[in-house]
Amino acid sequence: MLQQTLMALAMAAAIAATAPAQAANVAAGQAKAKEVCAACHGADGNSQLPDNPKLAGQHGDYLEKALRDYKSGARKNPIMAGFAGALSKDDIANLAAWFSSQPPAVTSRH
Amino acid sequence: MIKSTLFATAAVAAAIALGPLDAAAQAPAGDPVAGARKTQMCAGCHGIEGWRTAFPEVYKVPKIGGQHQAYIVKALQAYKSGERSHPSMRAIAASLSDKDMADLAAYYAQSGLKTAGK
Repeated sequence: MLQQTLMALAMAAAIAATAPAQAANVAAGQAKAKEVCAACHGADGNSQLPDNPKLAGQHGDYLEKALRDYKSGARKNPIMAGFAGALSKDDIANLAAWFSSQPPAVTSRH
Repeated sequence: MIKSTLFATAAVAAAIALGPLDAAAQAPAGDPVAGARKTQMCAGCHGIEGWRTAFPEVYKVPKIGGQHQAYIVKALQAYKSGERSHPSMRAIAASLSDKDMADLAAYYAQSGLKTAGK
């Protein structure tokens, strides 16, 4: 009995250890995008406005870096500073997961 | 003779008067064919799927094929001015003229259309 309990505890610990630290939540990203980003970048990241970049299919880690830099002020843009400043770490990860998983509007192949 | 001098003076005055107003319209038009010949400095990073920057942070370099032309120009100008900081991009953008930027942006904006989604 004690052995079984210990075994179960060990397995639970092993599962917890292998789970990603913070799995991005695509659905939460979609909801946040609709609320915060859609007006300028399109709900799926297919921006129709020439000054605003297309995000659909962009690399997620690049999108995260851009949002982090806007939030910290390393990258300066008065509009994006306002939006990114209001995002949490999880919001940023979720938004990057959402936009990067959309059908690509941008590509590395030229 | 006087008439032509007056005409020339008027033309110069008009050009000066129009100059500042027309500043935005004077941005060079992008030529995608010329842009395609200027990508040597870009393709090494932006032309390789999944290529990562090594400094100062590691992340995948953005995909720019199919990106909006106006946004690409803005990004290059921001790197050139130092407003946007990335050591490699700052050095590369600093070497580009307004015409180079317009041509590259025109090239990348249209190049994605052929391959987007594939």
